[in-house]
Amino acid sequence: MVNLALETRNNKEKIPLIWLETCGCSGNIISLMDADDPDIVYFLREMVDLTYNNSLMAAEGEAAYEKFLNTLDKEFILVIEGAISIKDEGLYNVIARYKDRLITGMEAALKAGEKAKYVISMGTCASYGGISAAAPNPSQCISVNEHLNKKTILLPGCPGHPDWVIGTIGHLIAFGIPELDEEGRPIIFYGITIHDNCTRRSYFDERVFASKLGEKECMFRLGCRGPITKADCPIIRWNDTDNWPIGVNTPCIGCTQRGFPDGMEPFVRY
Amino acid sequence: MSKKVIINPVTRISGFLEIEVEIKNGRIVDANSSGMLFRGFEKMLRGRPPLDAIYFTERICGICSTAHSMGSTLALEEAFNVVPDENNKMIRDFMHGCEFIQNHLRHTYQYTMPDYVKGPDINPVYSVEHNDFRLPEAINKRIASNYLTSFKYSRMAHEMLAELGGKVPHTHGIFVGGTTVNMDISKYLKVKYLLAQIRDFVENAMLEDIYTIAHYYPECFNYGKGYGNLMSYGCFDIYLQPQRFYVSPKVMIDGKIKEFDPQRVTENIEYAWYKSDLESLKPLDEEPEADRFKKDAYSWIKAPRYKELPMEVGPLARLWLSGNYNRGISTMDRTIARVLETKKIIEIMTSLLEGIRLEPANQDQYVVPKEAKGKGLIDTTRGSLGHWLSIDEQEIFHYTIITPTAWNLSPKDSMGNRGTIEQALIATKIEDINNPLEIGRTVRSFDPCVSCATHVIGEYNTLKIRIV
Repeated sequence: MVNLALETRNNKEKIPLIWLETCGCSGNIISLMDADDPDIVYFLREMVDLTYNNSLMAAEGEAAYEKFLNTLDKEFILVIEGAISIKDEGLYNVIARYKDRLITGMEAALKAGEKAKYVISMGTCASYGGISAAAPNPSQCISVNEHLNKKTILLPGCPGHPDWVIGTIGHLIAFGIPELDEEGRPIIFYGITIHDNCTRRSYFDERVFASKLGEKECMFRLGCRGPITKADCPIIRWNDTDNWPIGVNTPCIGCTQRGFPDGMEPFVRY
Repeated sequence: MSKKVIINPVTRISGFLEIEVEIKNGRIVDANSSGMLFRGFEKMLRGRPPLDAIYFTERICGICSTAHSMGSTLALEEAFNVVPDENNKMIRDFMHGCEFIQNHLRHTYQYTMPDYVKGPDINPVYSVEHNDFRLPEAINKRIASNYLTSFKYSRMAHEMLAELGGKVPHTHGIFVGGTTVNMDISKYLKVKYLLAQIRDFVENAMLEDIYTIAHYYPECFNYGKGYGNLMSYGCFDIYLQPQRFYVSPKVMIDGKIKEFDPQRVTENIEYAWYKSDLESLKPLDEEPEADRFKKDAYSWIKAPRYKELPMEVGPLARLWLSGNYNRGISTMDRTIARVLETKKIIEIMTSLLEGIRLEPANQDQYVVPKEAKGKGLIDTTRGSLGHWLSIDEQEIFHYTIITPTAWNLSPKDSMGNRGTIEQALIATKIEDINNPLEIGRTVRSFDPCVSCATHVIGEYNTLKIRIV
């Protein structure tokens, strides 16, 4: 009982978090579950009070959506993953039915976006429209910034790296808003290009290029988007390994960048 | 007296789903399922470079992206007439196996357990919405603790995949010709070590946990059967060694197991919001036009059929068709099958590692054919996944994807047959109409992925909301 009371008190002290999935693939919440040091258990226990996320929450139906509504009167952080589909008043992406009314991702994002203390656009779909807005953009997807008509913190990536979102939320809790670039990306994660820190940079400088996937040289001529893509993948790597796309002899496809995917194709050029 | 119950969102699945059931005399007499997210990948793919289909279609789904890389790569290999060598096939199958493990661990603990086990007291898992928690305190505590521990092991499964594929979700290492990774001793030892640790958790914790749940919720063996028609496109089926072999393409209809014939796959649109001169479409037929006001239609998900019949796909279907399980077909059998399959896949992967050699990737400069067709049919985490593509002027022309969840979560068809999950809900006894837990338990036993099932899109102007 004492433990329970402590937990309850902790939950009250921690800032509530709504993690809203909209028009996307749920890849960013999966990426969050892959976090390590700190992991998602620490994140949920010690850092935030996650009140709403449809992938993880025990509640379902109207009771689930009420947890979303009940958070709006508090001071909270909003993470949105997925673009906002505005076609036919948002009915391409319905997240709930409440009192016989369909609640669209468009409506929920606006409702929470207006009240949240901080809004984070997690992943490339939320940040720029991403693959959800790929031509001919059948569901008329737009970015969170366009929808809310304000600047949110952008954490682009397909998916976003868990360190980026846990680090950003940690910064918000302890130190406020991190230093952002002109687009709204934290400079600590998106300050320099993949190319600047690439392990194959010396091959590029010597103009030694790979002719096909699987080779060890620079993949610039195969279509690598490292030179125009900002992210710290070469430093932090992925999934608790020393690996990343370049590490398996495939080019960077520019997934953290505005214009992905249409402006980044072909992903592999022969 | 009948009552309608609507659940939306059905949480702890991938994507957005509404389930509506009609309950009469305490039992479900009708059920409709509606997908609630549409993006339109098939339309996006037209005109794109064919090789890009791999990384592009992965992004249909953040949970089973590797499944789509397998389906698209197999389709491209058929179109390009490329056959990977055995070592590449084994590495690729090992990578696919990582996704099975990650998905099954996550679905069993994070998505299924909260239906039966009072969660650890952290939001958003802890819930007091209902009181049908039957486990004794000590046992509940053990499984709630494993809920948290399991994050580590599903993460390790992704770690193995990233070790060979660069990153995940949306891995890079699976490609035409097999893989792009140059297998070396460091990678080999790392995945071997991780697999052994996961195996320990699965065999010593996960199996016991699921049988414990089954013991305290025995009535879940009595509902959720549905038609009992099962299908698999086959997976891990190219090996001669029995310890590496899982299931070949098969169907079971009315209790009889037969070979699978890919020519018999169609999609029916009678109750889906599409119009076409054809009632039944074949893969690579022109996409039908959407018609949101079509009379009696109620879903964006088309109705895939095999010989005009709805089929169940997934772990239980595979175990049954491969002769590894025969206790029964129900909500609990399906839930147990997912765990048994995790053990089976780990055994296969362990054997694959014994065969994998430390060799560089066998890649080539692929030339896109001017015109070609290809199909990639393979069983993935949730069941049978099909990618069909046609290439014209070196660009993608048609691209058809029929996902496992479309098979399980389809609407009715013109023969009047309900979709697989709809049928599985029929006749279920609802104990507490204010907390109809049986619905979520059955739906989640299929591990639906609505992000995948509703990737197809059409045009429509307005939407009439059903008021119940």
